[in-house]
Amino acid sequence: MIEKPVFSHEQLGMSVFTRRQFLKFSGVAATSATILSVDDVAHAATTRPLPLGTPILVVLSLYGGNDGLNTVIPFKDSIYYASRPGITYKPETLFPLSDDLALNPSMSGIKSLWDTQKVAIVRGVGYPKPDRSHFSSMAIWQSGSSQSSRDTGWLGRWLDTQPLDPMSAISLGSILPPMLVGKKQSGSALPLGGLNVPSGVIGAACARLSAPSPTDNSLMAAAATSMRNLFSVSSNVTPILAKPAPVAQDLPAIDGGNAGGDTNLAQQLNVVAKLIAAGAPTKVWSVSLGGFDTHANEANAQSLLLGAVSTSVTTFLSQLKASGRSKDVTVLIYSEFGRRVKANGSEGTDHGTAGPVFLVGDRVQGGFYGDQPSLTQLVDGDLAVTTDFRDIYATILEKVLMTPAEKVLGVWKGRTNAIKS
Amino acid sequence: MDMQRLETARLFHRFGYGPKPGEFRSALNQGLTATRQNVLKIDAQTIVAPEFTDPGPRPAPNSPDIVEYSRSLRYQNQLLLLWWLDQMVVTANPLNEKMTWFWHGHWATSLGKVRYPLPMYNQNVTLRKYALGNFAEFAQAMFLDGALQLWLDGGENTVKAPNENLSREIMELFILGVNRYSENDVKELARSFTGYRVSRTSGVMSTASRLRDNGSVTVLGKSGAMSPQEVIAHLVAQDSCQRFIPERVWYRFISSANPLPENHSTISAFATRDIKTLVTTLINDPALSSIDNSIVKSPVEWFVAVCRALNLAPSQLPSFTKLYGYLEKLSQLPFQPPNVGGWPTDQAWLSSASAQYRLAFATWLASLANLSELAAVAPNNRVEYLLDWLGIVEWSARTDSALRAVRDNPQRLLTLAICSPEYVVSA
Repeated sequence: MIEKPVFSHEQLGMSVFTRRQFLKFSGVAATSATILSVDDVAHAATTRPLPLGTPILVVLSLYGGNDGLNTVIPFKDSIYYASRPGITYKPETLFPLSDDLALNPSMSGIKSLWDTQKVAIVRGVGYPKPDRSHFSSMAIWQSGSSQSSRDTGWLGRWLDTQPLDPMSAISLGSILPPMLVGKKQSGSALPLGGLNVPSGVIGAACARLSAPSPTDNSLMAAAATSMRNLFSVSSNVTPILAKPAPVAQDLPAIDGGNAGGDTNLAQQLNVVAKLIAAGAPTKVWSVSLGGFDTHANEANAQSLLLGAVSTSVTTFLSQLKASGRSKDVTVLIYSEFGRRVKANGSEGTDHGTAGPVFLVGDRVQGGFYGDQPSLTQLVDGDLAVTTDFRDIYATILEKVLMTPAEKVLGVWKGRTNAIKS
Repeated sequence: MDMQRLETARLFHRFGYGPKPGEFRSALNQGLTATRQNVLKIDAQTIVAPEFTDPGPRPAPNSPDIVEYSRSLRYQNQLLLLWWLDQMVVTANPLNEKMTWFWHGHWATSLGKVRYPLPMYNQNVTLRKYALGNFAEFAQAMFLDGALQLWLDGGENTVKAPNENLSREIMELFILGVNRYSENDVKELARSFTGYRVSRTSGVMSTASRLRDNGSVTVLGKSGAMSPQEVIAHLVAQDSCQRFIPERVWYRFISSANPLPENHSTISAFATRDIKTLVTTLINDPALSSIDNSIVKSPVEWFVAVCRALNLAPSQLPSFTKLYGYLEKLSQLPFQPPNVGGWPTDQAWLSSASAQYRLAFATWLASLANLSELAAVAPNNRVEYLLDWLGIVEWSARTDSALRAVRDNPQRLLTLAICSPEYVVSA
């Protein structure tokens, strides 16, 4: 017997916005088993909340290749309008940031943060020999290495410098992004709505079933660890999620009725805000939004997506004000590549190269960084890369995660000095 | 470790969807040679499917017809999912069914964008037809597949406005492998693919000569005004194709962590582009007995294996909503791969969130199964009995003692056994 239909409106009609993202991370190695007692972790999480003032990084990955030129728009350049008829915006709808650059009309929230110097926009970000494959390019960004087959993520290698603790880095959703895969330990995944710990007889049996075993191969050990972590992560997190979000009284009115939006990103960030406010001992959070692969009918789709990004991030920071932790949080927003300067004629754009990266938060020194790529001096029809993304990573590692960049990136000289000391 | 058990378990769980009750023991008695032959034996079998129809153009929003139209679409999409899950469970040809699943993850196309069930069903018929057939013919059939074309904006690719989505993925993900072509090849290939329209609701493709770029193109060293068929034949003939398809089969069937060795026997076996020859070679390869090559069962593979062991038919489960919800939370719904690269592997399925959902799913499935056979076994022998029943190599001391603690309750025992690391992972 078939019950009532379950396909949502989104699955049937709005695929471009909801297409779930995960990237193939070829050659991802099984991390060797992290042997921890459940009690150790649970005890640590409840008895040593993250001290106030500890910097926290929130990484927002935009999957699909966000069109940078329609995000930070060279609105006085006639080549911009000539290159992409049908997918440009009217200048009067944009939010000017400088004499020649303006934000997408859907990003009023980010614009208000920009006006208070809390937004750094790094222009022309990419890496040498750009790869236009979603999977390879995302693997390069997430591994923090130009060899896309590298088997650890940049934040996984940062985790490897940290004490073993499944709470150190948490990704929202049930699949772990490769950026959090380390050699010694990986981040934990947290689904929206929290976890239910098995209890009673079955709970006790699960605890025995997930104990470390010397005969486990590495994947079996990982399977056991994932069940074991269920107890530690969930016992700390579930009660917190039941609390209403602490919201500051001076929450600015942003995007009118959209402030409480129901996009998945808004939910993810809402959960992160609650957990940060409650003192979760987590220094790195990963959230994501998919659907940026706008080969066709781009303008409207991208506007909706960027609107979700802008509103969710703005609400998230406001939500944190009451907790006293809003000044600790830095948000990093990136995508695997930008898109071609010239439109493709399906009123969309094909895969390109450089794009802007956003850093948002109280610790950010607002303003522009990196040079805006020229629209006349293209490389194979694409924007030239003016800033390597590892410059940004290096600064984040040193100024947010307080870790020598060399431990994660090897010797890397470049920095993007957008974080206050 | 008992190597015969290891290889037999891998043959069942990787080249099929796990043993039905009694099959594993019987295979052990027959020996590995016979088991390999049985895996490779494909019986002619007619697939019975519900009728999927072209619903025609979508009525205007708010019109009286839209409600019935949407309802019928959702119903067909449900049927499509249940039909395939049932095929996986009841199939008499597990290898063909497993290869169909492999190809679905290879030419990964999602209902999320295609939206209509008929093109997705037709694609599945093509995947089945060529599952163990000739890859050169398969690639030609897939180019003319409406669902794949819709998924990768094929209908938007015209002489005036080339769209590279299909041409890039066909080289990167479907035929050659990443970085085995240049950016210019992507652009040129897109031009040679122009000239088609695709019906959204039926997936039927038609030629449209005024959208066609008839100019000369150069793709991987070959120039001329080539038809899509000529240029696809040229791609399939490349050495990189001969290497890429064995790499992908290895990645999903043997190991995603250890790369396909250079000059592996499957590469020369694929010289004729015959898929069955490739798979036969792999099934006889020493890699199948190397203890390094463990893989994690994906959620669908895990679910189908449980259904086969417990004699459950997905379409007969008491709640479709519940079934759909579990698969969705475990992030794997047939016909809805997350993106054109297909599903992830191994560790990606091992988050604490999936551990929770797997346990809840297992609890539900075990509560629906008829466990009288297990209950008839003396409690002291039940844990060992499960090894052959489920096709597991061996229990660790850890799992053995955890299961013994609940052996008096067959339902609980089975729930834990199918959530054990030894079952979740194909050793």
